[in-house]
Amino acid sequence: MPGFARRDDATIAARLEPEERVLLRRLAAEMRGLLLEGDETDAARARLFPRAHEDPDEERAYSELVGDELERGKLRALDRLEETLGAGDGVVTLSGEDADAWLTSLNDMRLALGTRLDVDEATMSAPLDEDDPDAHALAVLHWLGWIQESLLEVRPRLAG
Amino acid sequence: MTSVAPERLDERDAGADLAADRPWLVIVWNDPINLMSYVTWVLQKLFGYSRPKATKLMLQVHNEGRSVVASGPREKAELDCFRLHAHGLWATIARSD
Repeated sequence: MPGFARRDDATIAARLEPEERVLLRRLAAEMRGLLLEGDETDAARARLFPRAHEDPDEERAYSELVGDELERGKLRALDRLEETLGAGDGVVTLSGEDADAWLTSLNDMRLALGTRLDVDEATMSAPLDEDDPDAHALAVLHWLGWIQESLLEVRPRLAG
Repeated sequence: MTSVAPERLDERDAGADLAADRPWLVIVWNDPINLMSYVTWVLQKLFGYSRPKATKLMLQVHNEGRSVVASGPREKAELDCFRLHAHGLWATIARSD
């Protein structure tokens, strides 16, 4: 995929290869599974739902206040990514709000993947080692980051 | 309407009531996964910061491990923290010292 470009009608668009769509759909389905059925002790899930307060009582009160709204927001962003991903090969066209949902979901996918891989800043900036058993997952992590960067280059100039 | 003797006012100012007035800080912590460009954009989007200000805060997170990105009453700090979590940033809140 050559990245997102701005179009005349205040949308942004990118051509995705069929296998790129398949991969994004698979990652979106995995994220939905993590959000809906994930174990609270899962490090990836914990990273997606950080605590706000250090104090346990304060945190309990905060959690009750927030309820499942954080989870619902992440699910809404995933829904929108899947809706706008389209079918087959072709061009993905996004409004500003769609782009925000994509950024949220791509970031959640990267947080889950990166947490599972237990990456640090050195891993993230190192070139891929093809003998590394995590090489494929790291490549996916970098690819998601590349789509995010591509969205960020055009997103700030869109309204809404 | 009544008035308070000055020494009573001094007592109040130095006492526990002041704790309730201390603002809450919204802190963003460094993590190895979030992109620097993404963190900058989130700070601009959520707080209306200019790109230079958001970049400065992002670099502080990156270089020093954390940055206070906003402060205010508890309810506002909790909402800010929630919105940062919704965008995948690692944020906590704490009462200022």
